[in-house]
Parts: sequence; C-alpha cells; structure tokens
Amino acid sequence: MSTWHDLVTASLIGTERAVVPAVAIPGLPAAEDDTGDPAAVLLDRAALLTAARRAGRRPDRAEPVPVCEPDPRPAVSQAAAIRLAGMLDGEHPDLLTEWLTAVAARGLQPPPQSLPALLDRARRAGPKAAVLRHLVAEAGGPRARWLAGLNPEWESVAAPALAGPDAWRLGDTGQRRGYLASLLASDPDAARELIAGSWGAAGIADRVMFLSVLADRLDPADAPLLEGALDDRPDVGVRDWASYLLARLPGSALGHRMAERALRCVRMEHGARGPHLVVTPPTECDASMRHDGIVPGPATGRSQFSYRAHLMCQVVARTPLRTWTDEFGLTAVQMVALGSGDWAPVLFTGWTRAAIAQRDHDWMAALISQALTGRLPGTATEAEALGLLARRADPALGAPDTLPEPGPDARTLIHAAHDLLRFRYDMLKELDDDHSG
Amino acid sequence: MLALAPDAPSLRAAQPLASDRSWPVTGAADDSALWGQCRGSAAAPYRTVVDLSGPAYRCSCPSRKFPCKHALALLLLWSDGAVATNGAPPDWAASWIAERAARTSGPENPENPKPPADPAAAQRRAEQREARVATGLVELDRWLCDQVRQGLAASQRAGYRHWDDIAARMVDAQAPALAERLRALAAVPYSGAGWEARLLEEYALLWLLAAAGRDQAGLPAPLRDTVRSRVGFTVRQAEVLASATPVRDYWHVLARRDLDQDRIRTRRVWLRGRETGRAALVLSFAVLGQSLDDSLSVGTEVDADLAFYPAAVPLRALLATRRDTFPGRPPPGDTVTGLLAGYAAALGEDPWLDTWPVVLQAAPARAPRPSLYDAAGDAVPLHPGAGDCWPLFALSGGDPLTVAGEWTPRGLWPLTAWDEGGMVVPL
Repeated sequence: MSTWHDLVTASLIGTERAVVPAVAIPGLPAAEDDTGDPAAVLLDRAALLTAARRAGRRPDRAEPVPVCEPDPRPAVSQAAAIRLAGMLDGEHPDLLTEWLTAVAARGLQPPPQSLPALLDRARRAGPKAAVLRHLVAEAGGPRARWLAGLNPEWESVAAPALAGPDAWRLGDTGQRRGYLASLLASDPDAARELIAGSWGAAGIADRVMFLSVLADRLDPADAPLLEGALDDRPDVGVRDWASYLLARLPGSALGHRMAERALRCVRMEHGARGPHLVVTPPTECDASMRHDGIVPGPATGRSQFSYRAHLMCQVVARTPLRTWTDEFGLTAVQMVALGSGDWAPVLFTGWTRAAIAQRDHDWMAALISQALTGRLPGTATEAEALGLLARRADPALGAPDTLPEPGPDARTLIHAAHDLLRFRYDMLKELDDDHSG
Repeated sequence: MLALAPDAPSLRAAQPLASDRSWPVTGAADDSALWGQCRGSAAAPYRTVVDLSGPAYRCSCPSRKFPCKHALALLLLWSDGAVATNGAPPDWAASWIAERAARTSGPENPENPKPPADPAAAQRRAEQREARVATGLVELDRWLCDQVRQGLAASQRAGYRHWDDIAARMVDAQAPALAERLRALAAVPYSGAGWEARLLEEYALLWLLAAAGRDQAGLPAPLRDTVRSRVGFTVRQAEVLASATPVRDYWHVLARRDLDQDRIRTRRVWLRGRETGRAALVLSFAVLGQSLDDSLSVGTEVDADLAFYPAAVPLRALLATRRDTFPGRPPPGDTVTGLLAGYAAALGEDPWLDTWPVVLQAAPARAPRPSLYDAAGDAVPLHPGAGDCWPLFALSGGDPLTVAGEWTPRGLWPLTAWDEGGMVVPL
C-alpha cells in the first residue's frame, strides 16, 4: 500500500520538513479537517490506516515443503518423549547415547519435535562425536533426513549412510566403524583380516577405533593382534586399549603377567578382626610393565595418587578379576568388603576400572553395593570411579529395592550414583513399556 | 496434580519419597491445607506445608525448585488418600497458613485492594486520579505530535532514555498501562527492517488511545472499559466476579506463554469454549523464582464458569467455578481466511487488540519466509521473534497439523501443536 509507505516516509523525515500525504481508504469518505497541525493530521491518518491495514490483511502465499516419507517404526511412549526433552534440557545429557542406542535397538521412533535439538547437539559435538552423530541419524530416521534437507546445517549429521565397502573406503571414522562392526558380526574372520591388513598404515585414531570395535565381540583369536599392538610404538591410547582387552581374554599371556604382578603386591592376613588385605605396591615401573601398557609418573588429570599408588592402581585395573576370587577363594562381594587400610581407595579404583573394562557385572554390582552401604568414597578418584560405575553397571541394579537405599546421612555423591542408576533403569524400562504412543 | 511439578525431574525425585516411611508426621485440614515432616538427608526432618487453595507451598528444605520434591511427594501421598484429615495443624504449619490467608486477602495483593475505609476520601482520590490521567493524556498528545514533527529518525538516535522519560511521566499521571506500552517502544528501532513503520503504527494507536481517553463520555460502555484498561485503570477481581455473568463451557486449554518483565513473570493461558466458541485469556503473575499457577494444563478441557472482565472484546477472564478436567482432543482448526476475518471483526471492536488467540489447521513452509499455509494455499507468516520454529516443522513432516498460538500484526507465534496421534505438544 503505497499511501502507507508515503505516510511512513513523511513521519520518518518529520512534518517540519515533509508534506503529509493524502490518504484514501476504500469505502471511507476522504478526510476533511486537514487544516490543523500537520503532525496531528499525520497521526490521525496513520491511526486510520493502521486499523484498516491490520483488519484488511490478505493471506500470503507460501511454497510448500516436500512431505517427509513415512516412518513405519512405532513411536516411543509419552513418558520416554518427556524424558528425552528433559535430557536435552540438561538432565544427564551424557546418557543421550545410551537412550538413542536403546531406541534404535528396539526399532522405535523418537519424538519428532525433539529431533531439531538432537541434530543440533550432534552437529555441535563435532567430528569427534562420530558415534553420537550416527546414533542421531539412525534413530532419527527419515524425519531427520527430511529436516536436514530443509536446514543445511544438519546435513553433515543426517547424510545418508554410505553402504558396504564404500563406507570403509570413503566414509569418516564413524562410518568406517559402522562398517567394521557389522562385518565383525557377520563374518568375524574377514573383519580380523581387514584389521590386520589395515593396521600398518592406520593412524592412532583408526587403531583405537579398530580395538574399540573388537571390544564388542572379543574373541581369543584376537590375542595375537592385541599382543602385537603392545609392541607398537608407545601410543598410550593403543597400548591402553590392547592391555585392557587382553586382561579380559581368558588365558592371555598379559593376563598371567598382570596376575603375577598383582599377587606379588597383595596378600591376605588374618588379624584379630578377621581377614584383611595387605598391600605392597610396586616400587618402580620396569620395562616389562611399560610393555604391558603401564605408564610411570603421576597420572594425568585430577588423580592425587602418589607414584607407587598410581602404579598399583594400573596393575589392578589390568588384572583379570577372577585372579582375586580364585586366589583367595572369595566371591566378588566378599573381596570388595575386605579391609585394606589406606590402600582401599586404590583397590576400589583399580577394581572399578577392571570391572568396567572386563564388563564384569558381578564385580560392578559388588563395588556399587559396597560404595552405597559400607565404606564411602573419600577421594576424588574414588568419586569418579563411582560415577563411572553408575553409568556402566547393569541398569537393572536401578530397579526398586535392588540396591540398598542410601542412608539419611549419605553424601550427595552416593545419592547421585543411586539416582543415576534409577534414572537409567526407568529410562530403559519406559522404552519397553508402551509403544502405542 | 502432576501438572504442579515445575519439571519432570522434580516429579521423578518426589515419587520415591511418596511413601509412609519417609513421612512420620502428616495431616490435612479438610481440603484446604496439608502438612508433614519428611525424613531427608539433614538431621532435622523437613517441614512441608501445602495450601491447597493456591496451591502454594512452603518447605524447610534448601531446594530452590518450587514446589520442591517434598511438597510434591506430600501431594502424591494425599492424592493416594494416605494423608488423614486430623483437624488443627501444628504451630509451624498454622502460622504460615494464617500468614498466607492474610496476604492473599490483604492490601499487598494489587488485585484485591481492601475496600476503602472512608467513601468520601476514596471518591476524592478517584476524582484526583481522573484529573491526573486527563492531564497526562494531553501531555502524551503533545509528545506524540513532537515525535512526528521532528521525525522518527531522531527518536531512533535518542536511545532508551527517550521513551523512559515519557513513560515516567505517564506513571506520575497514574496511567501505568500507557507507561508500560511506551517503555516497550524503546525496542522497536532495533527490531529489524520496517521498524519505522512499526513505530508509526504504535504512535498512531497511542494517539487514538489518548483521544479516546479524553473523550470517555462519548464512548459506548464496553469500549470505554477497554480504553480505561489500556490506560491503566484496573478492575478488582471481586468486582468482576460479582458483576459478570459467568459463562459456562468446556474450556479447551489451547496454549500457554510466559513472559518475564522487570522480575515479574506473567503467564498467559488461552482458552476456547467448545460450545460457545469464545476465546478467553487467564493471566497469572509471579515474582521470578516463585511458581506460577499451573492449574490449567495445555491440551486439557475444563468444565468451568468464566467471569470476563468488561471490555469491547472480552478476553481476560477469571475462573469463577471450576468443575472437572478432561483429557482434550485436538481443537478444530480454522483456515487462514477464517483467522484473518476473526481478527478483523475483533479489531472492529477494539482497534488496539494486537494479540489474538487462534487455532489453525495448516502446514509449515519456509519460503519466501517461515509461514503456515492451509488447504486452500492461503498463508500467514510466523512471528520473526518465534525463531526458526524447527520443532513445529519436525512435528509436521510437511503435512498439515493443528497449531494454536497468538496472532499478532507481525505474524503468528506458535505455542502448541497436536501430532498425528492427537497428542498435545507444547512448542
């Protein structure tokens, strides 16, 4: 409406300098009292036109967007949709991958209204979060791809997955990982050959990726490759993975070496108050320990362990857990309940790392129960270990009445671990409960 | 009751506490208040009181959530019938309940000023206020003319002070609603392309309001009520409840929007009557950090009597009587032509109306700008302030869906949508 435009221009310049344009509104007689203050005349006309323009607004036209292809998967329950919104809002965001994995595994469809936030999260996480990106793309399904078609920012997340050997040759780390994992499931020998053939030319990140894929389907046939990885250049990441995986393999040479080291350092004594553990940590990190992935010097990060405690913890972390139960004839629950004086935090942390790496749910449950009921974690590393346990342990431990409720004077940390397990239990239960939406 | 929780985590945190074991002491006075002592992580038990008439909560725990998990757990227990009605509350609960009762009916509540003690003095004060407002309106007139005379380009350069000064003069003139409107104008020059047109619209509407305010006697009663409320004269809740004819209907709770201004959070809840087709707006207020009224949850239908504030287009209403609440189905959606015609008709009664509740059956589009278009291909833009509206797009998948929101001259602000299964999704 050009009259309105003229009026706006006049008001912008000011009636001191601009002439007030005449205004004609269809169906209304022309205004007559144009003799007064030009500013008042302008405001009169603008008021009339504002009402007329708002009331007389015509519909716009718009270009339709293509319609998204249907998603045959059933929707998650409303409770699950609400939980996802909460997680995207900052409640245990680190559990998003577990939630997405569970949703994808059950063939469910996440609530579409949360997809934009998920896509944003995966995009901002960057290329390092290949797993998250693939999970978002997989769980997001056709609706996520459709959204990426509308917003180029999401293309990198929801790009159609490369299939077959193309994913291996051309894909990013995440796609290569996906290819390798599915090959390992369908044809383990071919997958091991592929890894062995690619090992020499692969960089550190790829080698770590290979080992992390093997971790999901570890087999005694992997031992030679893993022992070979120990002889590798001293890339801490690769050796770490290899030594932890070997500790998990029954009868591995590294497992034996570590068990011997560990038992040289820990013995049981029967005192007045019953049996307890006496710990004599290693004094130095010799060449064979280094070869087996143990790193001397103060631990990186927040650890406050002394030099020897640090070595002790690393040995325990890589020792097959059955070493303890076999040697002392005790169950995991009885083992973790034994007193060990000042060394308790070291053993607790070492055992926690071992239980997580060896995926030993009995030990994880024993350690959590011990932390919740008896000896409370005192050091920062112990606290960190408990947090890890609550994230990795079987979520069934979070079922009501499975673990002891923390007492009224328990520390925040204990409550947090307890709540976290309960959260994971509820989160997965919701996905199994009701798919009708 | 679950809708009272501030967020999902607090509700989850409350559930394990909702057992007799955690509550050595509980009690209730009829249906007006609950109290209890909850064993927590501290040495002394937490003391929790719930005033069911609010509802309002008080708990000795350090939680900043409102209501906290103890209050929610107590409510859960109560709704399970596990709290016995046992007469008089203990002192620590009674004192708070009494204090609250005094406050809600006391003079601190701006909606419920005490009846004047001296009618003659009150009459004198009312007349004084009318005179002050009239003077203020003359001053506003002059100010508006000055703006247009000097040119709007000058006011863009002038900064916030420019509007704050005239707003302060309107406060002195006891026209607070005008003051608020003027203060809000300071943001217009920074609202993107076309700001000068929007500023001129606002000035022109203020000009019209000032003219109507000076000539109240010549206006029909409903329009006079509208003008007076837009200037800043308030009507007491009690008066509304006493004088309005209640409108009974199944009120569909369409949408909810919270706005923060000057440490006050205002909640707008939009309703639409299933039988009458009438739109209604229920406002509630809270100081930041306090919990707002959560009793109307989006997507439900409430059998209630509403008392409307007098206005040319009566929208604002009070819940006079509330009966049952039902899970609602998606409301019927309008076409774009229907939306525009409805708004035009309302503007005919109240030219200052700039927030109008609508329900559309439409699909979202992105070009030439984010919009919603209906089956006939007619489109309305989405409000630029509402952002990308990606959740709305994601929910639709390109197909039409039912959307409720606020229609404004700048476009539609989407607030609620219903998915293909008929489930309500707040946006």
